[in-house]
Amino acid sequence: MEEKKTAAYRQGVLVFIGLAILTIAEFFVSAAFDGSAVLLIIIAVLKAGIIAQFFMHIYRLWRVEEEH
Amino acid sequence: MSAVIDPKAHMEHAVGHGEHDHEPPYSVQLRANRLGLWLFCFSEIFLFGALLGARFYLWGDTRPELDQTLGLITTSVLLVSSFFMARAEAAIAHDDRKTFLRSLVMTAALGLAFLGGVVGLEWGGHLRPTDGVYGAIFFGMTGIHAIHVLSGLIFIFIVWNNGRRGHYSAERHWGVEACAVYWHYVDVAWVFFYPALYLIGRAVPL
Repeated sequence: MEEKKTAAYRQGVLVFIGLAILTIAEFFVSAAFDGSAVLLIIIAVLKAGIIAQFFMHIYRLWRVEEEH
Repeated sequence: MSAVIDPKAHMEHAVGHGEHDHEPPYSVQLRANRLGLWLFCFSEIFLFGALLGARFYLWGDTRPELDQTLGLITTSVLLVSSFFMARAEAAIAHDDRKTFLRSLVMTAALGLAFLGGVVGLEWGGHLRPTDGVYGAIFFGMTGIHAIHVLSGLIFIFIVWNNGRRGHYSAERHWGVEACAVYWHYVDVAWVFFYPALYLIGRAVPL
């Protein structure tokens, strides 16, 4: 139980670090590529996908057995 | 032979035997709840998508010159609040009540800070709602998003209050899960709004 809890907390930290890196990246991409819509939308979609998967747990929609 | 049913006696029998067969099992309810919440999130895509569509149609490859530092700070604050919300959900799933309640308080505090940053600072800048398409879109998008943040904060308070009174357990915490999904959804909306308002296109001084 304790190990699972630590793993869950660790995953949250790693996801947060990934999102923070992407946020900083889009800030610099905007400056370097003159506000390129394509690149910035790609980064936004990537960030949204990470949040949906790891924070919103979208995969739970297809689970039948497990409760939480 | 006619069968006469005494409703009172029937009710007493049902209560006495704990019969609630009409109620589906918790796992089935949970599945339906999740589907309902995600359908709600899907319906909101049309609202946020329409606002994004209006932005790209009216602003094209331009954007108003806004305070970039403020935009990055408010975005980061919302991102950190999402982290704490994920932590709160993970905590209650492992019966760690202390971390659960503390993380919810942190989420709410950061949500309030985000709201203060948008309403107090961004809206107090040089851009006005009357500044043509730039003002209309900027205030429309941030305003609609701010309403969602505000409703999320109310949701967090309700969940925190219930959590404080011990309403949730590792096995049963749908309220927390729903609150977390909603809060992250508000974050996802900002993930698209932030580049659309602050980063995409050429800055136009007003």
